[in-house]
Amino acid sequence: MVVFALLIINKSGGLIYTRTLSPGLQKLDSNDYLILAGTFHGIHAISRSINPAPPPPAPQNPSASNANLPAPAPSSTAGNPTRKTRHTTGIESLESSHFRLTCFATPTGLKFLLFTSPEQPNADVVVRRCYELFGDFVMKNPFYSLEMPVRVEKFERAIGQYLVRP
Amino acid sequence: MSVYSFYIFDRHTECIYSKRFTQAPPPAATKSSSALSNGAVSASLRRANKDSDDAKLVFGTIFSLRRMCKQLGGADDQFLSYRTGEYKLHYFETPTQLRLVMLTSPQVGNMRTVLHQIWSTLFVEYVVKSPLAPTEHKGGKGVGNELFEGGLERFMEVVFRPQPQ
Repeated sequence: MVVFALLIINKSGGLIYTRTLSPGLQKLDSNDYLILAGTFHGIHAISRSINPAPPPPAPQNPSASNANLPAPAPSSTAGNPTRKTRHTTGIESLESSHFRLTCFATPTGLKFLLFTSPEQPNADVVVRRCYELFGDFVMKNPFYSLEMPVRVEKFERAIGQYLVRP
Repeated sequence: MSVYSFYIFDRHTECIYSKRFTQAPPPAATKSSSALSNGAVSASLRRANKDSDDAKLVFGTIFSLRRMCKQLGGADDQFLSYRTGEYKLHYFETPTQLRLVMLTSPQVGNMRTVLHQIWSTLFVEYVVKSPLAPTEHKGGKGVGNELFEGGLERFMEVVFRPQPQ
């Protein structure tokens, strides 16, 4: 499993955790990572608003022939026909010729960015496991202040054990 | 498996061609509550503004993502596509900095060859080689000619099997 880097962005777009694990991406200094995180935060928001997909039909018309549907919206709107707003998601994965970026947006507004090689098949499983480790070692740490940079040693060790294959 | 929209941007960062294949989603609930009282005329005006705004947003997004990919992957790294829960955006750039962007449903595979084909067999043939089209397509002039539009429709129909409405 080749993971190049893991970045965690907080609700306001600030970078709270950077870890480069394997070589493969360009060497960037910490300022560049901060700028990149802010840029990605903005692009993620824009990608939610340029959604061109037509709205799914109302729940009382289960037409199986309409294959023009986009991927079904999450269950928050499906069971509630009076709800007007649609739940749109932002960028989930980005392909380039040298890397693939998987972005997991948590319900609380955090974004976990995982940079892997393009052939890596299970990037979304990996990023969810990183989220679990974050919940276990950072969120449950009583000395961690929310939205601040992550300086938790147990988290660093767990990420290193999970993402770096010797 | 369907295509939602298609844009072409030139090297002067202008949108020279845009085409929607489906109805755009209605505006968010917070905006439509005040607009409902205005009637159909302003709805079409808003739709036109929204289309040009969408093109600008799309360009801004691909410009920033391309710069980000070059920064992370090196100067020869190419931004190819991104996927959200609702759509997938495919990007192709020619050596003359002409950018073709296509938004499709999320399950679609790699569209790079399709975009390359649209460029080489449709754009180059019907727009670049047209003696009436100017070299610089300011404001989209010269791009939306009949042959190109017709060819593009037929091409999209072949690539994305027609969906029963």
